[in-house]
Amino acid sequence: MNLYEFEGKSLFRKTGIPTPDGIIVKSREEALSSVNVLSFPVVVKSQVLRGGRGKAGGIKFADSREELSSCVDELFAMDMGGEQVTTILIENKLSIDSEFYAGITFDPVESTPLLIISSQGGIDIEQVSKSTPEKLIKLHLDPGDPPQFFDLMNLVLKTGITGKKMVQISKVLVNLVACYYKFDAITAEINPLIIDTDGNAIAADAKFEIDDSSLFRLKEVKTFYRGQENIEDPLEIKAQEAGVSYVRLGNGNIGLIAGGAGVGMATMDMVFEYGGEPANFLDLGGSVTPKKTADALKIVLSTPGVDGVFINVFGGINDCAEMAQGIADVIDELNPGQQITVKMRGHSQDKGWEILEAKNIPLIKYGTTEDGVKLLLDEMEKKGVKSRVNTH
Amino acid sequence: MSILINEDTQVIIQGITGKQGRSHAEKMLKYNVKVVGGVSPGKAGQNVLGIPVFDTVAEAKKYTRVDATMILVPPAGALMASLEAFASKIPFVVVITEFIPFHDALLIRRMGLKENICVLGPNTIGAISPGKSKIGVMPGFIYSQGNVGIISRSGTLTHEIASNMTYRGLGQSTCVCIGGDMCRNLNFIDVLKMFREDDETESVVMIGEIGGAGEEIAARYIRETGYPKKIVAFIAGSRAPEGKKMGHAGAIISNGIGTAESKLKTLEDAGVIIARKMDDIMNILL
Repeated sequence: MNLYEFEGKSLFRKTGIPTPDGIIVKSREEALSSVNVLSFPVVVKSQVLRGGRGKAGGIKFADSREELSSCVDELFAMDMGGEQVTTILIENKLSIDSEFYAGITFDPVESTPLLIISSQGGIDIEQVSKSTPEKLIKLHLDPGDPPQFFDLMNLVLKTGITGKKMVQISKVLVNLVACYYKFDAITAEINPLIIDTDGNAIAADAKFEIDDSSLFRLKEVKTFYRGQENIEDPLEIKAQEAGVSYVRLGNGNIGLIAGGAGVGMATMDMVFEYGGEPANFLDLGGSVTPKKTADALKIVLSTPGVDGVFINVFGGINDCAEMAQGIADVIDELNPGQQITVKMRGHSQDKGWEILEAKNIPLIKYGTTEDGVKLLLDEMEKKGVKSRVNTH
Repeated sequence: MSILINEDTQVIIQGITGKQGRSHAEKMLKYNVKVVGGVSPGKAGQNVLGIPVFDTVAEAKKYTRVDATMILVPPAGALMASLEAFASKIPFVVVITEFIPFHDALLIRRMGLKENICVLGPNTIGAISPGKSKIGVMPGFIYSQGNVGIISRSGTLTHEIASNMTYRGLGQSTCVCIGGDMCRNLNFIDVLKMFREDDETESVVMIGEIGGAGEEIAARYIRETGYPKKIVAFIAGSRAPEGKKMGHAGAIISNGIGTAESKLKTLEDAGVIIARKMDDIMNILL
């Protein structure tokens, strides 16, 4: 789960990382009354989850009520790559002495968290790691043994920063590491970390990804949980309710249901390979019941443009008979016009096959995913539906 | 000898009295796996299908030799179950559980390394040496004994590829699912090292997917050490959109890193035979 800046900053404050004074507003009226608490000049920041907000014009500055009013109007009217601005953070503008970077992310090579700092703030970290990696100072974190204050001072000294600034930044780093562990973060980033003209270290931005599997134990983060308010696609909402992983893909007409993420991706790749175009990716996951299977199939059948569905599942952690029952239930209930084919094997396969054969569903028992994809595309063409849209 | 497990391996199941634990205990017994005990706090003295249940791993170990444990407990309990197995020095720990909190997975990895214990998973279907033993949730009958070793990040792709091989007369020495999470323990490189020394394994199939760096690390090892056995690799997700999590927590392309294309190129440069389509794996092996 990605956090908005204002949510991330509230986690920073809970772990002792200073942030600028600010107010969250949802309308122009709220914005104008915020100046009773704040003082000009202020920074007006759109709250969106996607990156590149500054470049897209999502951050503005205001010196007066008039400027603030027009900034707020502009931001609320903005569409940041499909993301509507509904919340704005207004903060006192900092008087900046210098800017730094500090972030913790997961290093897939060492399989440990990695703390990265730089004496340059406001940078595009991915860009810098490619062009001038020597400007990034790194420390792998031991999950059972967090670094001490002196370790972090030694790290900051490597950037060339000295004196009071070095001490201030090191203090923030101690808290950033604590914050990262306390809130089960996958990434936690301060970019930029500001030293103001009074010598205080302040987090001017906050970027967090919190581990979804940890939400059950994160009381503070759970209150941020936006459930479905940010999902625009009603089918994604249904998928979330059904407990399946569903991704819409372009404008294809081939619906897919897979047992397992790997099979899902490989099936998608195979459809492309044969000139078809998938409409979606759907991984059923575990704990599959007839109802969960039926819900998934209904979601795929109602995905706009779907003319055929290939169901590619295994009875491993799941059971073939239960999945087949779910498919049969949808056939009985909806009698869908779209072509459905199934490849299924594993635990209780004989029972599963029997249920599907009773519904006359074309079935792959011993063949491969390739056979299954070809079967669906052929069956669709027999019905006069164009299934191979990309001819190589 | 197969790697990791064989017909003599004595296994316990942590979480045996749960629905999943019970059901997979039954399937493992049917596969003639030596399931010598189960662990479920407060349920000592009971039995599941004749398998004795103990309160703790240490109690199970007092009763008999334990070579491996299969952890089938809910996500919130998986860290403790793993630490308990480590404390009892169980040499091989298979963590089946999916959706383990990320920081718990980090701690499992750290403690496993510290205690020098071989950990498989989390979020895995386990490992099977067909015809000998299995520690995991895979349907044994779609696997068959032979000389191809499989290493895979995906459980169902392991089923898919092994079963396709089985139906075409290509058996497997051991199939190891290293799991779909970001932070895993045994990785491609570790299992490749085991297959290298294994007389029964003549060739190896690597099944990767987008995201992470396990395939790239393995490619470097293969190139630098002149891996002596034939390796065929397939990477799922070559057409996956960037920035979307494709079912597995670890299957995401971020900022252009972890694409199928870059993984395939690195592996190809290391001398690995690339299966562009999944079914090409069999054509290359046959």
